[in-house]
Amino acid sequence: MRGAREVWLAAGVGAALLLLIAVAAIAIGAVRVPIADVLRALSGSGDTSVVAIVRDLRLPRVLLAGCVGAGLAMSGGALQGTLRNPLAEPYLLGVSGGAAVGAVLLLALGVSDPSLLTLGAFGGAAAATLLVTAIARVVGGSSDTRLLLMAGVVVGAFSNAAILVVLADSPPERIRGALWWMMGSAADATWPALARVAAAVAILGALLLWWARDLDVLVLGDEPAAALGVDVDRAARRVFLVASWLAAATVAAAGLIGFVGLVVPNLARALGARRHRPMMVVSGIYGAVLLIAADLIARTLRAPAELPLGAVTAIIGVPFFLMRLRKLAA
Amino acid sequence: MTTSHSLRFDRVTVQYPQRATPALNGVSLSACCGEITAVVGPNGSGKSTLVRALLKRVPLSAGSMFIGDTNVADITPRDFAQLAAVVPQREEPVLPLRVEEFVGLGRHAHRAAFGAMRAADRRAVSDAIERAGVGDTAHRRTDELSGGEWQRVRIARALAQEASLLVLDEPTAFLDIAHEMAVFELLDALARDGRTVLLVSHQLNLVARFAAHMVLLNNGQVAAAGTVDDVMRGEILERVYDWPLVVTRDPAIGAPALLPLRGRAHGSKPTRGTKGKP
Amino acid sequence: MSFLHARLTAHPLRYLLVSAIALTLAAACSRDTGGAKGAGAVGVSTPASHATGGPVTPADTDDFGAPLPTDARFASRVVSLNPAATEVIFAIGAESKLVGRSRWDEFPAEAQKITPLGDGVRPNLEAVLGAKPTLVILYAAAENRAAADAFKNAGVRTITLRVDHIAQFMSLCTRLGIAMGAPERARQVADSVQRTLDAVRAATRGAKPVRVVWPLWQSPVLVVGRGSYLDELIEIAGGENVFHDMSAPSPPVSIEEIAKRDPDVVVASAKTATTLRASGPWRAVAAMRDNHIVLNDPAVTGRPSVVLGMAAVSLARALHPELAGSLP
Repeated sequence: MRGAREVWLAAGVGAALLLLIAVAAIAIGAVRVPIADVLRALSGSGDTSVVAIVRDLRLPRVLLAGCVGAGLAMSGGALQGTLRNPLAEPYLLGVSGGAAVGAVLLLALGVSDPSLLTLGAFGGAAAATLLVTAIARVVGGSSDTRLLLMAGVVVGAFSNAAILVVLADSPPERIRGALWWMMGSAADATWPALARVAAAVAILGALLLWWARDLDVLVLGDEPAAALGVDVDRAARRVFLVASWLAAATVAAAGLIGFVGLVVPNLARALGARRHRPMMVVSGIYGAVLLIAADLIARTLRAPAELPLGAVTAIIGVPFFLMRLRKLAA
Repeated sequence: MTTSHSLRFDRVTVQYPQRATPALNGVSLSACCGEITAVVGPNGSGKSTLVRALLKRVPLSAGSMFIGDTNVADITPRDFAQLAAVVPQREEPVLPLRVEEFVGLGRHAHRAAFGAMRAADRRAVSDAIERAGVGDTAHRRTDELSGGEWQRVRIARALAQEASLLVLDEPTAFLDIAHEMAVFELLDALARDGRTVLLVSHQLNLVARFAAHMVLLNNGQVAAAGTVDDVMRGEILERVYDWPLVVTRDPAIGAPALLPLRGRAHGSKPTRGTKGKP
Repeated sequence: MSFLHARLTAHPLRYLLVSAIALTLAAACSRDTGGAKGAGAVGVSTPASHATGGPVTPADTDDFGAPLPTDARFASRVVSLNPAATEVIFAIGAESKLVGRSRWDEFPAEAQKITPLGDGVRPNLEAVLGAKPTLVILYAAAENRAAADAFKNAGVRTITLRVDHIAQFMSLCTRLGIAMGAPERARQVADSVQRTLDAVRAATRGAKPVRVVWPLWQSPVLVVGRGSYLDELIEIAGGENVFHDMSAPSPPVSIEEIAKRDPDVVVASAKTATTLRASGPWRAVAAMRDNHIVLNDPAVTGRPSVVLGMAAVSLARALHPELAGSLP
């Protein structure tokens, strides 16, 4: 089928790009690792410093960035389908607010153990999404997308206020640490952190891929979807929750990173992956590419300091919106 | 098309929480095989609520709905989609697909969670596209279609479900005469094949030429039901639509035709909302 | 919306796109000119400017340039919102005049008995004035200018001081001594610290400097830079800060950069050391792999105050255990 070839091409190119950018990201940094030595270092042979840098510093970081990018892109794709809006982002829906509250609260209490912070962020985000669906259900119907969006904005606004209150009373280093966390970074990439986010992306991503056909139908509207045989309320709610929790897992691992969940699914659709299953697979691949590239930029552009990852991805968002505006203006 | 299922609403009552009066109040109607049954009535009479109730988007306060002998309340949405193909009133192509892919969504209730389209699915899709007369749009994107093409593509999707019951809510809204007639003729052919077709429409005159049965709703209740001749009577329609009108016979086929007259003399206002000038 | 529409169709979107990308890249690429901003300052109340270890303000003005009250009568009721100043006040025996402190002034232990009155930066004016002070000692941050003016208008004298470098500590001692009416005691304290520092410096003079990285924070990784008194302590104690080239007091750096500069040892508190040892990414630093961690006690090194001498000694002992005999 003509359409299928487009998708395979997009996926193939994406996979090739992924390999390239991953190798480049492992090779490039404050300490130059010649590409020829990358493989040797990965297998453990060669200069101990280089091996340590590659295996303990760059490899987990690149893998983390890849997982986070893939997770964000898939989450964004699923949410755009369930909310019927190609401009939906995981962060509209209280996910980022809740995650930030969870993490910042722990940071303000002096907790610095990354695995605890991860739990706090995930817990906060999970609680926020449950709160959003509860609000929407109480007000109207939990599958009414406008209610979900508004409830998300409300929870997000409340979370921002809560963060400010928590930070207002904290010493400068904690504020700085909290802000750093909130701006997004792959710098704390440890193997345990990577394992957690990889597991989340694998499990929650697999669920979303399983339900992808439902999304193809859900995106048509409540009535058409019901007419075609989908239990609309159940399907919409479970996709919403799982997609939000996937985004939450990425926030827990790498802080707040915007635009990936927004831009990449649109890119995947533009490349020909229109139905949700192929779209989410292609999105996952390109999301990983995007974030590994962004992380590479973040740590090399202003060396020896690091730019926040969220700032680099925001730069990508600007041309995206300009192009969409152009389409609207035309 | 072998045997088709009938559709029966049995004293269905739907009450929206915020409203004072029920949207549907003890409505009973049935549609059967090989013919078009039309549900007509003024705005707010409950026509679309009937479709929403069938899709279980609104709960029933009383009554039941049956497809054949099966109570709709007892079956899953998936089973329902195999028995009945419903084309709701409005739909916007938010995420565009190729027409082929779009019609393919009609096979959703027949497909497993994973697995490619089987030969039977593909055949159903191509047959549906042919039948609905949108073969030349198959490779175009849904956001590039004209209004008429879009409606027929939606009908094609419904046909791909291969259900023997077809329910359509205002399928010809916003269509010009040619497209409207094309849709009606298609529905007529589909009904003649043996399907049960329930059509909600405000286009009384067109409906009168194609429907075998007509149900007139008013304020959530059945005001009249029967053949087209039974229902399209001047006094009944004038009362329900609250507007002066005349029912004649159209010169082409001899079906009843409704002619609305000018509004009443200045000084007396019809009780329904009106834009008429005296 | 139509205004926007008109502009978009009038001016090629390309230019918007290009200029947007160019602007953001330019902002990101702008090299840190070595000024006091320090990479990564994010609107937190970090000090806006500070001396780079050189000039010290003359002894008759405070760090905001206002003339120093030389009459110790004005120091009958003193609120000190400056941890270094509070500690020095206790050291010179003038604590009976203290009626309030900031909640961050925790040393010495006796200071806990003084009433805390809120923050030291953007202080709670009402709380401080409620203690009816005759003199308020403020931390000299740009954010406190408004407070300094407010106190002045309320008729309360203020002295604003800060210590980023050791020389400034000496100057703070002198000025506080004058203001609190204990100039002799202040001179003794300052001299005692100076003597200890000089002794340490002399003892480590001949030894080969140990290359040091001192991480102060983990997320982001902040290390000691030239702008901090800790950098001076490192030098006095016979060490060499691998990030001496960075002018900020605590610049953020990547772990990779640390690995690249390959210090001999990592200075850390016991708690930080545990975290670092457990951290995968830190294994890229050779000193961590070889477990060359030098422990320091934050209670002693954590602040630029009367304990500076002890801080230098403890650091020197840690960096040069072989010199233990010749250290005070």
